[in-house]
Amino acid sequence: MQSDIFTYIDPSPFSLMENGPLTGKSVVIQPNMSVRDWPTEAGSAALERYIALEDATVVERLRQAGANIKGSSRMSEMGFGLGGDTGAQALADGIADIVLITDTLGEARVAASTIGAIGFKPSHGIVSRFGLIGLVPSMECYGVLANSLADISDVMRVIAGNDDHDLSMLEGKVPDFDKNYPIEESKGSLAVIQECFDLLSPEDSQDFDKTLKRLNQAGLNIEKFRLADFDLFSKVHKVIGSVEASSAGGKYDGVRYGHRTSSASNWNEMFLKSRGESFGLLVKTYMFQGAYFQFENYKAFENACRIRARLLKEIEGIFNKVDALILPTRRSNIPVDTTLGISKVYDAFLMTLLANVTGSPAISLPGLISRMKNDPGLQIIGPHLGDARLLFIASQLKNIAKRDI
Amino acid sequence: MNYEAVIGLEIHVQLNCSTKMFCDCPNIPGDEPNQNTCPICLWMPGALPQFSQEALEKATLVCLALNCEIQKQSAFDQKVYYYPDLPKGFQLSQAHRPLAKNGWMDIVGEDGNQKKLRIHHIHMEEDVAKLVHEIEGRTPISLVDFNRAGSPLVEIVSEPDMRTPYDAMEFLRRLRTQIRYTGSSEGSMEQGTLRVDANISIRQRGSNELNTKVEVKNMNSIRNVGDAIAYEIKRQTECLKTGEPILLHTRLWDPEKHITTAMRGKFEGPCVPDPSVPHIIISDKWLCHMKSLLPEMPNQKTQRFIKQYGLVHEEAAFMTSERDISEYFEVVVSKKASARTSAHWIATQLLPILKDRNQKIKENPVTPERFAQLLLMLEHDEINTNSAKEVLIRLFDSDRTPEEIVEKFGFKQISDTSEISDLVEKVIADNPSAVANYRKGHEKALGFLIGQAMQASQGKANPKRIQEILMEKLN
Repeated sequence: MQSDIFTYIDPSPFSLMENGPLTGKSVVIQPNMSVRDWPTEAGSAALERYIALEDATVVERLRQAGANIKGSSRMSEMGFGLGGDTGAQALADGIADIVLITDTLGEARVAASTIGAIGFKPSHGIVSRFGLIGLVPSMECYGVLANSLADISDVMRVIAGNDDHDLSMLEGKVPDFDKNYPIEESKGSLAVIQECFDLLSPEDSQDFDKTLKRLNQAGLNIEKFRLADFDLFSKVHKVIGSVEASSAGGKYDGVRYGHRTSSASNWNEMFLKSRGESFGLLVKTYMFQGAYFQFENYKAFENACRIRARLLKEIEGIFNKVDALILPTRRSNIPVDTTLGISKVYDAFLMTLLANVTGSPAISLPGLISRMKNDPGLQIIGPHLGDARLLFIASQLKNIAKRDI
Repeated sequence: MNYEAVIGLEIHVQLNCSTKMFCDCPNIPGDEPNQNTCPICLWMPGALPQFSQEALEKATLVCLALNCEIQKQSAFDQKVYYYPDLPKGFQLSQAHRPLAKNGWMDIVGEDGNQKKLRIHHIHMEEDVAKLVHEIEGRTPISLVDFNRAGSPLVEIVSEPDMRTPYDAMEFLRRLRTQIRYTGSSEGSMEQGTLRVDANISIRQRGSNELNTKVEVKNMNSIRNVGDAIAYEIKRQTECLKTGEPILLHTRLWDPEKHITTAMRGKFEGPCVPDPSVPHIIISDKWLCHMKSLLPEMPNQKTQRFIKQYGLVHEEAAFMTSERDISEYFEVVVSKKASARTSAHWIATQLLPILKDRNQKIKENPVTPERFAQLLLMLEHDEINTNSAKEVLIRLFDSDRTPEEIVEKFGFKQISDTSEISDLVEKVIADNPSAVANYRKGHEKALGFLIGQAMQASQGKANPKRIQEILMEKLN
């Protein structure tokens, strides 16, 4: 049922271009992506009855490329984790050719892996965040779900690129999605982080290992790296992410829009009650944790920033030797459930967080680890701004898989 | 026991930019409430900040004028606190990496010695919204006006180098002059474009320790700052004597009662790096360009005025005390009026009239051209001083030239010898006793006789000529 999938359906969808690169493509977005005059509640009472004032840059570009934006899906509050999200379902049901889901912890990739689709998270800073109602500005971005790599490339070509509305973008450093990357130019090697095996179930571990062997037989070097700090990615994300969420959530005060409490005797009480009534438990806890680091333990936040810089360097070192990191997208035995609290939510995204912390591009490919329903998805992560090459490598892997399975 | 005060100032300066700091809204806080707002300064969902180049330029000029080192890289932080005047739950400010550091200003202290007062740093930040509390009526309400939200400010944080209210007031006067010269701000405490918070602590004279400080706010003139600091020094000294502990808190100056009252505990919110505003990286080339935009500052100008126009130091310092005054002066002098007469007349005649009329020199209806013509007529003895003052007053309410006014009102000085001779003879004849007194050696009598002659001429005669002729006739 479409009404189960959508929070809003455009009554008269339109596309601007007859012969655009995305003409004829149906797109479903989330209600944290602004479309002028659309209800844009980002899954939160904090934005109750909020109607967007302007189009997000991404929305504007999609429409100009001929895409038909059909509506917005259901989403977890502020796009944090996956809870009741229906974007991936829209793709699986054939309602949409392309689905956009914000990727804060790895939501786009994980959601894609659960329906056997491709999920792509671009490099941080190459897609304008203007009009995106975010929670963790330095780590979240638009994620793209589609059934073919060609669709992903087409979308990226359209939405990536400088935007005067977003000064935090990396000026002039957009990857060239039209360029071909001949295999001879690549190092022909992928890196496996040994520590990830410790986190996998025996079945996932076995399946993943088999995949690595197949790729190796197909001529790719699989290099093994030890990264003792692998568990720090989630810790760093949790500290920095919660602090940013606490700041980003500060604007939801019920003064200009969103839910306002029905009774309060002064502004302080109005703030407290409005905010208390607006947020769900998970986001509330997350913001509360961020406020703790802001007000009570700033040192820990500073440490997290420093560790993040160090992790970035370590990963950069690995990318000097290999083309990409390879690991599963998710742990098939860990449920993705936003009702279980912050730690459990993070547990479900331990394989994807690395790319959010480092701002790297990452893609989840289906059917390469397992053909079973519970395929965890194969994830490859490239160096920052290496998006186009990563998509090329992804296509190579798919070809190898086609030959060998 | 012998105590001394340790005083540091935090000064907010509103930059007179055409737009706000992070959006293109007009920077006119006084307009109809909430007229100058947009999704960015209201911080609507999905909005991202822009950054005003003009704000950076004007802030940089202020920093340069206060002898600060501009930092190659600076960045904005989120100063987190929750209050209805902040539309996003934090204020964008440069807490960790300010635009400029290590400035200073020289003042002359009360003892006449020059004193170097250091500036710790200067950072940029945005202003907050204005709250209007309506407490009358059945339900008290608070209204928020976001016109001011996002207005560009710089905050100047001094080192605690000041020891007396006088130091603080001198520092502020010098700082205000420097800032006004850059043209970046009106720098008016009365109008709130310059806001000063003072931090005051007390210690034993000669000690180096920094004791618990108290912050005082709500002063709306430089004199208020001096008074508030003096009061606070007295209050804290009493506390020390009676053993009452001094707590870190904020006090409000009450300009009516001339006292400070406790407001709240001093609150310092956390400051988190902001991920949306890019870091500000300043190139040598750009900085050179900004330095070239800095006008000639008061100290240099004073020296030049002494050298170029032959003013004495006091005159030169006064003529450069405001950029507009110095520029007015230079135009007047360029029209061939004598420099010292110009300086004297601007200081003693023009500015007092402007002050009475509540006008600034920029709004002065007496153009420097007309003012110069007036002074030239005075110098050429075409009118006397009294008449010149009368003409000046009329220049304020008329577009006529001084010549026309002199002509119309008959201010032309009588220098004609025979005319004055007639006047003098009549005065001698009418005042035999004064004449007799003068001849007995009473010098004062001469003044009286000159005065009588002036009066007889309705103030138009040339007093010098009267004196000459009078003495000629009496001797």
